[in-house]
Amino acid sequence: MLAVIKKELRSYFTSMTGYIFVASFLFFTGLFFTLNNLLGASPDFNRVLASILFIFLLAVPILTMRLMAEETKQKTDQLLLTSPITLTSIIVGKYLAAVIVFVGTLAFTIIYPLIMSTMGKLAWSEILGGYIGFFLFGSALIAVGLFISTITENQVVAAVATFTTLLILWLIDAIIQGLPTDKTAGIIFAVLLAAGIAAIIYFATRNIYVAGGILGAGIIAIVAGYIVNPEIYTGFIGKVLEWFSLYSRYEDFELGVLSLSPIVYYITFSSAFVFLSIRMLEKKRWS
Amino acid sequence: MIQVENLTKRYGQHVAVDNISFTVKPGEILGFLGPNGAGKTTTMNILTGYISATEGRALVNGVDILEEPEEVKKMIGYLPEFPPLYGEMTVMEYLDFVSDIKQVSGQQKKQSMEKIMDLVKIGDVRGRLIKNLSKGYKQRVGLAQAMIGNPQVLILDEPTVGLDPKQIIEIRNLISSLGKEHTIILSSHILPEVSTVCERVIIINKGRIVASDTLENLSKGLGEETKLIIRVAGPEKHVIKVISEVHGVKFVESQGSKEKDTVDIVVESSPDIDIRKPLFYALSRASYPILMMRTMGLTLEDIFLQVITEEKEAR
Ligand SMILES: Nc1ncnc2c1ncn2[C@@H]1O[C@H](COP(=O)(O)OP(=O)(O)O)[C@@H](O)[C@H]1O
Ligand SMILES: [Mg+2]
Repeated sequence: MLAVIKKELRSYFTSMTGYIFVASFLFFTGLFFTLNNLLGASPDFNRVLASILFIFLLAVPILTMRLMAEETKQKTDQLLLTSPITLTSIIVGKYLAAVIVFVGTLAFTIIYPLIMSTMGKLAWSEILGGYIGFFLFGSALIAVGLFISTITENQVVAAVATFTTLLILWLIDAIIQGLPTDKTAGIIFAVLLAAGIAAIIYFATRNIYVAGGILGAGIIAIVAGYIVNPEIYTGFIGKVLEWFSLYSRYEDFELGVLSLSPIVYYITFSSAFVFLSIRMLEKKRWS
Repeated sequence: MIQVENLTKRYGQHVAVDNISFTVKPGEILGFLGPNGAGKTTTMNILTGYISATEGRALVNGVDILEEPEEVKKMIGYLPEFPPLYGEMTVMEYLDFVSDIKQVSGQQKKQSMEKIMDLVKIGDVRGRLIKNLSKGYKQRVGLAQAMIGNPQVLILDEPTVGLDPKQIIEIRNLISSLGKEHTIILSSHILPEVSTVCERVIIINKGRIVASDTLENLSKGLGEETKLIIRVAGPEKHVIKVISEVHGVKFVESQGSKEKDTVDIVVESSPDIDIRKPLFYALSRASYPILMMRTMGLTLEDIFLQVITEEKEAR
């Protein structure tokens, strides 16, 4: 795994991507720091972190587009996959390399609160909270980018798809607002969801019985849920899409509060996408 | 050493490898021969654990690639059809990375890298970026990659494709010398490639094994008839009639006229009878002078084509 991390780190900085990431990241943090804290004379650095979350929309695709897509395209994945290392260490190694570049860059920005601390007393514990949240949030998005990079062998496609996905995640709270909340819509959505999951299972396993079984079980569960308590379908769409609302979970961190549930949420979210990336690689071998 | 049992790989409806079984003994150099699209690469990808078979299994030293992939991968060095090289790395950086993922430990690493670079003669480009190397050097770096970790088995997919004749000879010699210490499977779609290095050949076509034997036996088994090509001055019909009546002739076929008032004819006979003298007397009695006569040895190319066409006819 160390070898993979080392190799990825090197390739970030032998190609342009590493520098572009670091430069754009530092540029935007610096810009917002200057506007907000220096010119705006605000002692609140967490505001800066929160207001530059949008930068991930561009920065994460830069960091992740190449990760697996380029290996597949150049057929170097043949070397990795026929070497005596596990798929897990390949994917986790790549993920960690991207996270390390991100954290390394983030570490540079400590300089801004340090500058501020020369002008007055800072609430360091709050700033630490802000940083932890920012780190967890970025790491979760990197996992999404990594996953998308395992699907395609085209870097540009990976970048655009990642950008689009992150944009949807960014807008998801607004999208939820606009969706119907009545019971019928909730039930239709639940059925579509079950059908969607069954379809994914079918394409992954090519086993019609397993997929059919899951669809059947899903529908039974939906009916059972309706009989027990039809109210669960009120606002059901929103409740499900909520799971993907990464941005809304950032609020505590912005206030500098470390609460367990968003931390667990981000870590779970990251792990899920890293796990899916591993499965995706595994699945490719069986196709 | 290597055991392949009823291996099948399907891509949707398309059967790329169709129920293949074979074994390779330790120290053997096996040639894997077949036209493009025959399923060579697919078979090799399965053997090395890159893709999974739809059915059947592959064992190396008795270990199933699906059950203990890491164990098997340690025993195999693989040079894929397109060498998996990182253009942005130097040769040294690349081999260092390969050593790391093949778990060659620190002390042996330097030593084994030096030894391998020496063997495949890439020491002089060790500091160059791989993307700037010539095709021949890239291929050798790919080969070096396969040899790292000193695996018992080397699997080489069309190792000489795209190289110039001098490079081809170099790589061939290298493979022959590697054969002393390794079990090797080598694929190719051209015959001379395998006939110079391999002891045994498996011919594969459309995903199926159509022949598997030593080169010697293959030529013997298929080259039962001896072929002569002769040029005779005389009318085609009569000449053919005279030749057909000679004792021992099994098959006569006209190749048309290549010179005025003559005809070229292929004559096949049983290998135990030399028909050249009877042929001469018969034609001279009929006053059709022989202007040229030569034997057509069955080349391996002929064997290859013959095996593949026989297979087609049998279906
Ligand atoms: N990933 C794939 N998807 C679909 N068909 C494939 C794939 N890889 C190979 N094939 C098909 O399988 C057959 C065997 O291919 P291959 O093993 O590459 O042949 P060879 O190496 O002998 O030229 C070909 O008909 C090829 O088109
Ligand atoms: Mg091939």
